[in-house]
Amino acid sequence: MAGDGVPDVLPISEIWVYLSGSPLAALVLTLGAYWLGLTIYERSVRNPLANPVLIAVLLVAMMISLLEMPYAKYFEGAQFVHFLLGTATVSLAIPIFKGWGSLRGRFLGLIGALAAGGITSIVTALGVGRLLGLDQMLLGALYAKSVTAPIAMGIAERIGVSPTLTAIFAVSTGILGAVLGRYVLDFLKIKAWWQRGFALGVASHGIGTSRAFSVHPQAGSYASLGMGLHGILGAVLIPYAFERFVR
Amino acid sequence: MIQGLVKIFLFQALGEVLSKFLLPFIPGPVIGLVLLLGFLIVRQQIPADIDLVGSSILAHLGLLFVPASVGVVLFLPQLRAHAAGLAATLILSVIATIAVTSLFLKTFSANPSGDEDGR
Repeated sequence: MAGDGVPDVLPISEIWVYLSGSPLAALVLTLGAYWLGLTIYERSVRNPLANPVLIAVLLVAMMISLLEMPYAKYFEGAQFVHFLLGTATVSLAIPIFKGWGSLRGRFLGLIGALAAGGITSIVTALGVGRLLGLDQMLLGALYAKSVTAPIAMGIAERIGVSPTLTAIFAVSTGILGAVLGRYVLDFLKIKAWWQRGFALGVASHGIGTSRAFSVHPQAGSYASLGMGLHGILGAVLIPYAFERFVR
Repeated sequence: MIQGLVKIFLFQALGEVLSKFLLPFIPGPVIGLVLLLGFLIVRQQIPADIDLVGSSILAHLGLLFVPASVGVVLFLPQLRAHAAGLAATLILSVIATIAVTSLFLKTFSANPSGDEDGR
């Protein structure tokens, strides 16, 4: 671009070529999109439909297609955020421990309900999905959809299905449960907060749990218990059952 | 804050090692979770440093699955082709899961007095 007498100025595209080679571009994109998502979520008075993860994913997906940045290239930078998923999974012990006292005297009922709910989640998803003609790859990613996303992705890797699709279905399930949960529970005349919360946590993990907390603290603490127990038992039983019955 | 991070990383690392050599079908971080939970139950409280770091990470849990979820761009053709079927599947399944879980609790657990009732 150096003309006669004109000082060398890097054109924007060259700056971009330089930046896109470093993890910074992907990191700024990811964090910035999530920040915007959070802002929209807060502005919408925490409407579950304005889920910050969903907004961030849509924004980043649009940006990387506009910039013609291949996904693998994006992930090279974003993996530093992705890595912390494991650390977050370990940290889930904290909310589970906080809800632990609530288990006393209700252990069998809660575990039974969790098993019934977990099995229902898988059987209905695969049954309806097969009926509606979903292909094998999509069906496989439905197994862990009611488990909290970080653990669901670990399960997906173990059973050899797409962690990405599993994460998308888990986030969608969380949003749907948070939006539809109260209508289902009202329709069934479930009145006790702990029962409402636990059902939300089992079916729609973290997103349902934060919804439950915003409605009532007891619902929230049982929801985190439901989410946590489903995470632990799902991680143990889903790969085992898959190995046993599907392979 | 650094202490808490180191402790959580240690539980994570221990989980990864156990997953690698003893329990290959359980993801390492889940084993780390169970170990940390056991530690907290034995201690009967959450050490302040672990609580600080763990709760801060969990407060932004959503951010952490953005990178993997963006991989959805690789599946757009399939997702588009099956959009209606997928939506119906996810909606019906989450309704059924909430219904079965809550009805099970309502049917099989006595409701001890002192519980707060909603609605």
